[in-house]
Amino acid sequence: MAGLRIVVADDAVLFREGLVRLLLDAGHEVVAAVGDTVALGTAVVEHHPDLAIVDVRMPPGGEDDGAVAAVQLRTLHPQTGVLLLSQHIELRHCRPLLGSPGFGYLLKESVLHLDDFDLALHRVADGGVALDPGVVQALVHSQSTPSIARLSEREQEVLRLVAEGHSNVRVAALLRLSDRTVEAHMRSVFTKLGLEDDGETNRRVLAVLAHLQAHARR
Amino acid sequence: MVLAAAVVVTGLVIGLVDARAQDVLAALAAAVSVGVAVVVQAHRPAAAVAPALAWCGAAPLAVALVERYGQTAGTPTPLPAAVLVADAAVGLWPLNVAGLVALLLVFPDGCHRGWVWRAPAVLLPLATAATVTGLWGARQVDGELVGGAAGAWRDVVAVVGVVLVALSVCIGVAAVVRSARFGDARRRLQVRWLALAGVVAGALLAAGWVAETLGASLAVAYTPHLVAIVVLVPAAVGVAILRYDLFDVERVLGETVSVIITAVGAAAVFAGVVFAVGRTLGAAGEVPAVTAAFITALILLPLHHRIARTVGRLVDRDRYVALAGVERFVGDVRAGRRQPEELEEVLRTAQADPRLRLVLRRPDGTWADASTTSEDPHTVNVTAGGEHIARITLGHDTARARRRIAALAVAAWLPIEVSRLRLSLREAVAEVEASRSRLAEAVALERRRLERDLHDSAQQQIVATGMRLRRLQRELSGAQASEVDRAVADLEDTVRELRSLAHGVRPARLDDGLGPALEAVRAASPVPITLWVDELPPANEVRTATAYLVVSEAVTNALKHARAQSIDVAVGPLEGRMSIEVRDDGVGGAPEDGPVALRDRVASVGGTMTVVSPAGGGTTVRAVV
Repeated sequence: MAGLRIVVADDAVLFREGLVRLLLDAGHEVVAAVGDTVALGTAVVEHHPDLAIVDVRMPPGGEDDGAVAAVQLRTLHPQTGVLLLSQHIELRHCRPLLGSPGFGYLLKESVLHLDDFDLALHRVADGGVALDPGVVQALVHSQSTPSIARLSEREQEVLRLVAEGHSNVRVAALLRLSDRTVEAHMRSVFTKLGLEDDGETNRRVLAVLAHLQAHARR
Repeated sequence: MVLAAAVVVTGLVIGLVDARAQDVLAALAAAVSVGVAVVVQAHRPAAAVAPALAWCGAAPLAVALVERYGQTAGTPTPLPAAVLVADAAVGLWPLNVAGLVALLLVFPDGCHRGWVWRAPAVLLPLATAATVTGLWGARQVDGELVGGAAGAWRDVVAVVGVVLVALSVCIGVAAVVRSARFGDARRRLQVRWLALAGVVAGALLAAGWVAETLGASLAVAYTPHLVAIVVLVPAAVGVAILRYDLFDVERVLGETVSVIITAVGAAAVFAGVVFAVGRTLGAAGEVPAVTAAFITALILLPLHHRIARTVGRLVDRDRYVALAGVERFVGDVRAGRRQPEELEEVLRTAQADPRLRLVLRRPDGTWADASTTSEDPHTVNVTAGGEHIARITLGHDTARARRRIAALAVAAWLPIEVSRLRLSLREAVAEVEASRSRLAEAVALERRRLERDLHDSAQQQIVATGMRLRRLQRELSGAQASEVDRAVADLEDTVRELRSLAHGVRPARLDDGLGPALEAVRAASPVPITLWVDELPPANEVRTATAYLVVSEAVTNALKHARAQSIDVAVGPLEGRMSIEVRDDGVGGAPEDGPVALRDRVASVGGTMTVVSPAGGGTTVRAVV
């Protein structure tokens, strides 16, 4: 995989420097490492990176400034993917972005799983999704729509992993299934959810949203 | 006035020339009246009282002078027409009271309208004429009337004269009573001064009779009475006209009257007991006297108290009514029917002063209302037990109002003391509540800061350390690399632990709002929870966190102890606050005064919490924060 051009924004110097080194080790190019959302905006305008890795809590406000900045970046610079990192699940300002392409939300310790983290970086940079299981859980519980209990246990499991942003191949590896089986499960999911392949809508994203809604009132 | 003064001077001169002490004294006594009259005239030139007062003293002296003139008839050098004067002199006595009657008629503000009040001007001369005619030619020798013409018609005429004099005096007294009855407060006060002198004079007269009966000489028996008449009455009139609010005249009058009545009553009891004991036991001397003294002493005090109250009610009605109003209020306060804080209004009514203000002094020495100062000239200080407890500012400030309010304040001591204690208690409670809520806010902020520290400092460092280990791992292989994997896994566990620790300190989910935070509670529950969250009023961190805590604690307890099948949670607005209800269908029987820690948290934001948990009927926790 080719290296990405990345901007890192985090006010915790120790963490930021550690992350930069890991990214460099993984073959990425860190075009800027900044400590607040203002510098983040400037860096993105200047470098047009593939990806911005942003801490949720950051100066100048010290609240969820990072999440607010993420929403702006996604609107102003759609070619730059945004991956939010947080100490805990805190979805107040980034709710509209959840499940949308080119956006990820992970807990900070996920950087310690180098391979998974690297995959997530690439997914988000390529317009995919990367969500921490905790985020998905929180979303599921805060949505309110009818259940889709018709899915089988296995199909729900596959959908949950897809909703977390994994590719079919990755899901197959995680569940120790063949790629074809996973694809079959996903087709079944699409069918059961009434998502027809019209060549325009991203059925995967719709399925993820349905999944999120499905668990709302369990 | 001038004539009266001339009469006095003449009397004085004659007395001095003749060197007769009693004449000089008589003239001096008359001079008191005239002197007071002059002072009154000087201050109140329009007052008709002054000449009347002057003649009040001068008239008897004038009569005495005429008698003296007549007496020259029996001397070697009789004055012209002395015999004629002497014939008439004995009958002139009605003129003695002429000044007094005039004074009674015009006191304090001039004569009343109507012929009745002017009648004495005709009646008295008629009376004099009658007595002069009746007693024509009589002479007074050693206090006995001698000579004079006899005849039934003359006796009749003399009696008619006496009746007319009595009638005139009665009209005078009626005029004064009328003034007191229908006059304003000032007039009533003025009349009371006169009444005071009259009562004293009357008492001394009664004492004179008693003294005379007991064998005292006439001079000794009646001199005090005469002095009272010629000195006290003018003095009282002078004070009444010039300085009617000099003292609390009603009280002085009331006390004088009650003392006199008590004394008379005591004497009567004493005499009665002496007589009765003497009769029954046939004993004489010490036994009856001692018994009587004992019994009299026994009943004297309560008797005096009762008499003083009754007399006070009659003589000093305003004061009695005001005091009774305050005392009734104090009784109501004791019985819990009224609040001691209503005292200011009660005092305003009692004092008839709507601008009166009562300012309490707190036990710590500060004033409840700093806007008035003790330098205010209209302020009356109230003390109890040597301590300054309040001050009263008068809207209508007179010496009399001050005396009255001082008496009322003494009566109202209890409500004043209670109000100031309650005031400081209320303020202390308010301060404690404010301080508790400040404390609660401080604790909430502290928890938030702690949660931040855990997330932003400790967790970050652990993750950073994990990243360094991962970089190190690249250099390693085999068993060593696996060891690093385990170390990193341990670090991740630590991070998760820190997160849940921070969540216990303060649920970070609250940042998303109470609704999402409660959703998370529901999500974590193994028992189905039905959750209603209405539109909530804006609430600060402390209240939101407290509401969350109530729900999560109640749900935790329901899961732990109630064996519930389902739980209903409802959160909604209630008069600008949040109402929280958590109801389960479990076994119930939870202690209704618990859980204490949660109760304290709710109370710390000024909220309330109730637990209803009948055995077998589920548990309902309600709270308002």
